[in-house]
Amino acid sequence: MKWIREIWQSIVRRDPLSTDKGKSELVFLNVWLHIHPAKVKKENLRFKYSFYLGFITFFLFLILLTTGIALMCYYRPYPPAAYQDMKDLQFAVFMGSFLRNMHRWAAHAMVVCVFLHMCRVFYTGSYKKPRQFNWVVGVMLLLLTLGLSFTGYLLPWDQLAYWAITVGTNIGSYAPLVGGQLRELLLGGHTVGEAALLRFYVLHVAVLPSLVILLTIVHFWRVRKDGGLSRPIWKLKPQKTEALVTIGAPAAVAPLQVTAASKDKTYGLMEVVTGKPIFETMTPEEEEDTVFSYPYAFVREAVALMATVTTIMAISLFFNAPLEEMANPAVTPNPAKAPWYFLGLQELVSHSALLGGVVLPAMMVIALLAIPYIDRNPSRRPRERKWAIWLFTFFVVANIILIIVGTFFRGPGWTWVPPWVHVVARPE
Amino acid sequence: MAALCSAVGVSLGAVVRFLVPSVFYGPPQSFKIGNPGDFPYGPPTFLADEKIFVFRDRERGFAVASAVCTHLGCTVAYFQNDRDFHCPCHGSVFSPTGAVLYGPAPRPLNWFEITLTRDGQLRVDKDKTVPPTYRLMV
Ligand code: HEM
Ligand code: FES
Repeated sequence: MKWIREIWQSIVRRDPLSTDKGKSELVFLNVWLHIHPAKVKKENLRFKYSFYLGFITFFLFLILLTTGIALMCYYRPYPPAAYQDMKDLQFAVFMGSFLRNMHRWAAHAMVVCVFLHMCRVFYTGSYKKPRQFNWVVGVMLLLLTLGLSFTGYLLPWDQLAYWAITVGTNIGSYAPLVGGQLRELLLGGHTVGEAALLRFYVLHVAVLPSLVILLTIVHFWRVRKDGGLSRPIWKLKPQKTEALVTIGAPAAVAPLQVTAASKDKTYGLMEVVTGKPIFETMTPEEEEDTVFSYPYAFVREAVALMATVTTIMAISLFFNAPLEEMANPAVTPNPAKAPWYFLGLQELVSHSALLGGVVLPAMMVIALLAIPYIDRNPSRRPRERKWAIWLFTFFVVANIILIIVGTFFRGPGWTWVPPWVHVVARPE
Repeated sequence: MAALCSAVGVSLGAVVRFLVPSVFYGPPQSFKIGNPGDFPYGPPTFLADEKIFVFRDRERGFAVASAVCTHLGCTVAYFQNDRDFHCPCHGSVFSPTGAVLYGPAPRPLNWFEITLTRDGQLRVDKDKTVPPTYRLMV
């Protein structure tokens, strides 16, 4: 028995979890957990503040990694084997269709959650100083998530995949000057074919996931270094009005300004370097309001993880990921639709390819990236940032309406067909 | 510093060049489609693999139209009742001469050169576009 305890001690090397010292050591002696602080603000654990959307997004990504690696064991990235392997996964491989379903539904859910997480961060004003750069990292993660979905969409090599990618990459070729070359670089040819499938596969299973992992590490690190999650809005203190202390200076010289002594307990190296903390700090009163990460934060994260996995599993039991006929370059399905999260884009593109497919999306991305630097209003209170909230809400709602129109109100030939009208195909 | 920058620049250039294929394995741009007698008069013949419509007219001869929509590359269909080309993706409609009648397509459909080879077969060259009035008399 003693040697078992010795081995265990050699692994964990901490005091028992019944002690405060043990609880702290659990966090900072463990490479996986030490991204957490030893203690967290109680208010930040509240579900109604973050809805744990960032965590859920991350857990969905973990599901995608594990199921994706499993699927790779059966998938050959060239036509027509790619399509046959999908059929095999559906009908011949033990649990193949379940794993494929999980991968597909988790991918959809991740797009939804990353978007909702962004909205949460926006509405709570959490992109403001000192968190500006983490917002930028977040936008890049959003784009990478969309890129992963787009590249994954081609892999089943069915009609849906083939035409969505044909239309999608042609949108890119409208970009001025480089558009055409960019498309050829992505496809490795003039049309969507063997070379394109291989390139999309490489992007989907190697390049983009690696970038997501790298940026997620930066993202989490910055959440921590920016002082943990932002304070819930209902906990914001009244604006600081501390008078500056003036040391009896000669009248002719401008008064010497001395910053009020920091009451902050934690001193980072940055403070030694810059003199002032660059991250959000806690006052002693707030310090009272903290709890140990173990068990309070970890239990909640574990619950979020289990809820995410169970939900995706349950959906995958009852709903099968679609698979249409094998890709056929000669026959375009009518209507040919992109994945739902790109249908807003497709709707815009149906009016003008250059404006709707290139100019407007590019401007949206630049605006998203620049939000923390454009919005210089320091207040995080909704009442004091009405303009920002209205503007952001306008774009969110516009996007959702366009997606709904593209999904439900567009029929053959992209004509206006409400979902309650049944159309009979026109004879050719 | 300059040395480092140029080294990085050259490497990046090499990576980009690496990604540009030197050989394309797609279908050839110029190909034979068969003997003139294979094609009926009247409605055009659609060749799925080449994505072209072959028109044959008693008085005026052969012409070849592209079936690739100039908007975003979906394959258009020819409707016999109105003699127009309809694109299923975003609703562009092209007239029998390929002109845009409706929808987001920015340019008319392409027409390709069609010639007779020495062994009496029809040859289409997708790299050579011609005006819609171009005809090959056989
Ligand atoms: C792969 C995608 C992403 C993952 C896995 C992720 C994960 C996380 C996690 C776990 C947190 C901690 C708290 C929470 O659950 O809200 C967080 C916070 C944050 N995220 Fe993300 N995120 C992603 C994308 C984004 C996007 C698209 C944005 C914005 C454009 C963003 C901006 C932020 C900011 C500014 C914070 C700090 C919020 C605060 O202090 O209240 N993230 N993220
Ligand atoms: S691809 Fe033909 S209308 Fe868009």
